[in-house]
Amino acid sequence: MNANVYLPALARIAGIEEETRGARAIKTFRVEFPEGGNFDHACGQCAMLSLFGKGEVMISIASAPAVKDYKQFSIMKSGRVTTALHDLKVGDIIGIRGPYGNQFPLEQWKGRDLIFVGGGVGLAPIWPVIQTAVANAEDYGKITVFYGARSSRDIMYKADFEDLARKAIVQLSVDAAEDGWQGYTGFVPANLMDKAPSPNNAIAITCGPPIMIKFVIQNLQKLGFTDEQIYTTIENKMKCGVGKCGRCNVGKDYVCVKGPVYSWAELKTLPQEY
Amino acid sequence: MDTILKKERLGEWVAQIGSRARVFAPAYADGIWNFSPVAAGVSIELDHGNTVRPAKGFVFPQREVLYRFRQESGKAPELTETLPDTTPTVVFGVRPCDGRAMVRNDKVFTCGFKDPYYSARRDQVVFVGLACNMPPSQNCFCLSMGGSPHSEDGLDVLMTELDGRYHVKAITPKGKAIVESGAALFDKMQVPDGNAVAKVHADADKCPQRSLAAMEKIAAGLKEHFESPKWDELARACIGCGACTYLCPSCHCFDINDEITGNTPLTGERVRTWDNCQFPDFTMHSSGHNPRHDTGARLRQRVSHKLLYFVENHNMQQCTGCGRCISHCPVGIDIVRVATEVTGQ
Repeated sequence: MNANVYLPALARIAGIEEETRGARAIKTFRVEFPEGGNFDHACGQCAMLSLFGKGEVMISIASAPAVKDYKQFSIMKSGRVTTALHDLKVGDIIGIRGPYGNQFPLEQWKGRDLIFVGGGVGLAPIWPVIQTAVANAEDYGKITVFYGARSSRDIMYKADFEDLARKAIVQLSVDAAEDGWQGYTGFVPANLMDKAPSPNNAIAITCGPPIMIKFVIQNLQKLGFTDEQIYTTIENKMKCGVGKCGRCNVGKDYVCVKGPVYSWAELKTLPQEY
Repeated sequence: MDTILKKERLGEWVAQIGSRARVFAPAYADGIWNFSPVAAGVSIELDHGNTVRPAKGFVFPQREVLYRFRQESGKAPELTETLPDTTPTVVFGVRPCDGRAMVRNDKVFTCGFKDPYYSARRDQVVFVGLACNMPPSQNCFCLSMGGSPHSEDGLDVLMTELDGRYHVKAITPKGKAIVESGAALFDKMQVPDGNAVAKVHADADKCPQRSLAAMEKIAAGLKEHFESPKWDELARACIGCGACTYLCPSCHCFDINDEITGNTPLTGERVRTWDNCQFPDFTMHSSGHNPRHDTGARLRQRVSHKLLYFVENHNMQQCTGCGRCISHCPVGIDIVRVATEVTGQ
């Protein structure tokens, strides 16, 4: 990392995948570091992306730590910087600094069943965990991935899900009925209750819109998951990424440093200001 | 290192320092005292109330360029780091509450990731403190915050006004260096001087101040009363101007934005500016979701950050009782009253 924590490395956009379309489209950017400045990261960590003249935005790293040659970021078009990022082309240069934040404790979870519950673009932060877990499947029990989107057109990583279905149990859902849809119809928390995974020796990891996370956690508790068995990753507005600017402050924690990954046992001790 | 400086020699000492460093001291302009550059040959006055703006700007300026960028169309951007220059800066007339705030600012900017901009300034600036011999404002409450009118924390030198002279105590190596550089101007401290200093300090400790319950009690009370309806009641008058945090010597939140200076090629600066937890936009997500969506939640954040969260992280309050946020709030929101009413202490 640069000695000056605010100075980004320069990275080249090597590939852009259009995941979903619409006002809140999602694109996946593959970035490489031809001039150096690449860094190792852990599952759950984030990086600050820079577009000079527009500003910076904190995005979770969506590629697995085992992928060393490039990094991937799946970004929803939402604010000033993410909208500008969506206008970029392959070959354009952005700034990157990081990695920031803590990580999912995958080592501690060895030998246990893993149940991932994602919604919308909230799949991106847990995607490297899923990738790492299935690549080391012998270390874990049963791996199940619940994922829901508004419609089948809004499902991200479509091609990757076909591959994932051969390595893990995949439970897809769409919010509203569609002709020809083979998966579950309804919200993610309802799909979770419908399949009712066992809490025995299991860990549940969830990320998605705040309202989804709220009901997923309630339903996991109904299924018998303890607070220590539930993990999520939260986001807040961030400017510095290094625990100083105060934007992401929740209780005693700066999410950029102490988070973004929390067990529900930890998170419920903080004010619900996220 | 203790020594004595006759008042009539203060100007000479300041002039000597000014020949090799930037010197700042409180100056009166437009009806208020503020730290201002001391021009050569100009005398400084130290018998006044506290400055309206705190001393934090010397280490954490209101606006600071982090780096410049320049990008030709279709080419990679060039970034030019703009670390602060290292000209020594000596600041006179810093009150102990602002000195103690530096200890808090150090925790934020140098723990964990080291902030190179803050550190570069902090390493070269010399804070020459001035002990209070009476409360500088009607809203002072430094004693309740574990400080005192003559606290040395965060200062490099502490001056105490005696009859016709100053007691000058060098606290840090930086402080010692500026006292030694003017050694010829100083007199040796005698036993009666020491007694006089002790009396001024003891008398200052007895001056009536506003008061707040002990750190642990307030912290526990804020934790217990997080959901108190009083937050909304007490914040109802808030207009969200942010004067409280801008004038706070230990509020450190900042924003980072790009300021464009030219379009072909694209040139500009990445700029850090003081920011404010009392603004709705401070926490608003791009989705429109706002974790602290009303003035009650934002007042609770300001007070709890200082008197609970910082205590949990650093075992000290992030408030040193200077009273600026009370004196300068346009609608009379008062941290002492708020913390007292919410916690029932």
